[in-house]
Amino acid sequence: MSERELHWASISQLRKWLDKGEINSVELTRHLLDRIASHDPKLKSFIYIADNALEQAKASDRRRMRSRQHAVSPMEGIPVALKDNYLTATMPTTAGTITDGIAFPMQDSACAERLAEAGCILLGKTRTHEFAWGTITPPVANPWDLERIPGGSSGGSGAAVASGFVPMGMGSDTGGSIRIPASFCGVVGLKPTFGRVSRHGIVPHSWSLDHPGPLTRTVEDAALVMNVLAGYDPRDPACQDQPVPDYASGLQRGVRGLRVGVIDNHFMDCNTPEVQACVEARISDLASQGAVVSHFQMPILDYGLAAIYAIELASSGAFHDRWIAEGRSVQYGPDVRTLVEMGRLVTAVDYLKAEQVRTIMSEEFRKLFDRVDVIVSPTAPLTAWMRGRRTTTIGKKEESVLAASWRLTFPFNLTGLPAISVPCGFDSEGLPIGLQIAGRPFDEAAILRCAALIEQTVGLNLRPELG
Amino acid sequence: LKSPAPTKVLNTDLIERLSGSTVGGARFLEILSEYESIFQEISRLRELDLQDIHPAVIFEPTAPYRKTR
Repeated sequence: MSERELHWASISQLRKWLDKGEINSVELTRHLLDRIASHDPKLKSFIYIADNALEQAKASDRRRMRSRQHAVSPMEGIPVALKDNYLTATMPTTAGTITDGIAFPMQDSACAERLAEAGCILLGKTRTHEFAWGTITPPVANPWDLERIPGGSSGGSGAAVASGFVPMGMGSDTGGSIRIPASFCGVVGLKPTFGRVSRHGIVPHSWSLDHPGPLTRTVEDAALVMNVLAGYDPRDPACQDQPVPDYASGLQRGVRGLRVGVIDNHFMDCNTPEVQACVEARISDLASQGAVVSHFQMPILDYGLAAIYAIELASSGAFHDRWIAEGRSVQYGPDVRTLVEMGRLVTAVDYLKAEQVRTIMSEEFRKLFDRVDVIVSPTAPLTAWMRGRRTTTIGKKEESVLAASWRLTFPFNLTGLPAISVPCGFDSEGLPIGLQIAGRPFDEAAILRCAALIEQTVGLNLRPELG
Repeated sequence: LKSPAPTKVLNTDLIERLSGSTVGGARFLEILSEYESIFQEISRLRELDLQDIHPAVIFEPTAPYRKTR
């Protein structure tokens, strides 16, 4: 195969080539390392490349040779990246900060362990917005337009996967930090149900909102990675001991009879015209393929921003409290410093009222899921914006781009429901638009199935020209 | 004699102590100012009568007894 095919290949395709012996992991890893060396100076998606990547690949090839007659793990020999807030034993973790006196242990997070045990090559660490706050991820560039932001906070993984540097990068999502960069960079981003994938060894942002998950170039790849990541881990107090299905099976079942919900307030009433039109076209596609589309209202969403602000600020303030008291937060980026230092201002009563709103919202979604199987919306109300831009006008409303960017994603952090972003079109400037699909707790299979159909229907060319 | 009117500085000092903030006076004023717009949003929670609603955070006394690896 040509080199071009190699770096754009999906995990599923790479697995076939590896299984047939058409390539080996060392060749694949070397190719991706060369591509990163050539193009990442422009994109800055990686903060660290593993010294031992080729040694890992050699070990993988040896395992494959030894098990010649036996099936190997579906992820054996596949290079992957981890966001720089996942602890790793052989690579340093910074969580995006350069603050003196803050250091993280050299030990593997649960996800790093699982990926390594599955035979993956842990190729490097991708940049995160500092402490996984924010949706800009400086200094990472968007591969579709280097003058634009990639989204965040998992912007490094979004840019790296979209650029053909790795077929999968891990992200973490507290208010949209997997799905927003997935939408802005034109890749698939899956936030599983809270408790589906262990958070052990991820630098906390907000304990009850943080979700680990993958960014990939295809829906099938997200399913394959979930087969590795999902499962119980007693080291994460929120992790649930629930059965793990084969997420990759049933992806081609289509959506005939699938009940699709659209929440008209909050999700569909304040998007740019191009995003709105694109998502409405995809909803029509689902209907034409046999899905049953229904429209709803959910007034409690009007209090969602208040709730997530209270929970996120208070939680992050508590996590950073010692470092603030030690005077270390003065070295944080100005945006992150202000957000963590203001956590002390959220009153305990307001925090608990936010948790009460969360109960109501979860109950409202439960009632909705008696009537539908998935809920669809845009992932973000806008596409990737130019660096330095601070506000946007959507309809008649001027608001900060940061506030706008997470409006459609944070409800599923508050409720812990699984949600995926799948590319569903481009705007007139050639920037990707994401469709968000959310489902019932632990029903990642339904959202993957729906996302697979969208992916197949739109058939987008998702290969940005890197020059 | 009239008692002196409370000054803004005194009130801010009290708020700082009540909140437990450790960032120091001038910086605390900056944070208060930055927090104002977010506070406007959070304070909307106070409109709601939620007396009958259990918070989503639930104490789980068996958590320390979970199996570890």
